[in-house]
Amino acid sequence: MPTSSSAASTSGVGKILPAISSLLRPPPQHELREYGGIGLVRGKRVIDIGCGDGRMALGCAPHASEVVGVDPDPDAIRLARVKARELGVGNVEFKVGIAQELPFADEHFDVAILSWTL
Amino acid sequence: MVDALKEAHRILRPRGILVDARPESRIFAYAEHQMRKGKYRSAGVIATAREELVNDRTSDRSIAKAVGSGWFRSRRAGRFWHRVLFDDRPSLQRYLDDHLRFVHRVRWMVDAPKRRKWEEDPWAIRRAVRYEVFERI
Repeated sequence: MPTSSSAASTSGVGKILPAISSLLRPPPQHELREYGGIGLVRGKRVIDIGCGDGRMALGCAPHASEVVGVDPDPDAIRLARVKARELGVGNVEFKVGIAQELPFADEHFDVAILSWTL
Repeated sequence: MVDALKEAHRILRPRGILVDARPESRIFAYAEHQMRKGKYRSAGVIATAREELVNDRTSDRSIAKAVGSGWFRSRRAGRFWHRVLFDDRPSLQRYLDDHLRFVHRVRWMVDAPKRRKWEEDPWAIRRAVRYEVFERI
């Protein structure tokens, strides 16, 4: 499969193209830096809309107070939950849902991220 | 898409931040040959598929509507680049064959003998991502 530029190795590159893969996207730290740095999410309530397998949500988690990832693909959400468990991240929640009907109260979040979503 | 932006506006607190980031379809991506570790040279350009250009314009219109409706104001915008890495050139081509965003053929800037010589070397696709940071009004 392809790897992102942050990967240490290109072993196995191009062999399989996964349906969902963080490997095809920039590393979340790189993206956050471009958007203004970790100050953008530090101590904030963040929602990653169209989170896929949790790449950006998990990248924000070490800095944010609370992170929610929402995606319509149940397989992607399953994978995101597995990754969160593996990383031991406690302040992230992943939900199956669509961007047009987010199950949250008005004005609940400080930051909303649409990374490769629109 | 406008509905999604309206929903983002609803769940964000006043002066909250919305980030929109997506591939920059208005400029070419590059097929790059890795000369040595971490050092690449452009060997061809890759255009965005027509359908994706249409989708991106639809997204642009949605954003414009959200701003025009007074839901968000732009704070800053920019562009950055990133590379997707491949073991060799056939791997890069297989990726393009399966990819919906890009056209499937590289417009080469180097001749065929050079490409054959570099066939087994690592390659990359370097593409631009554009973003805009908005403030919720």
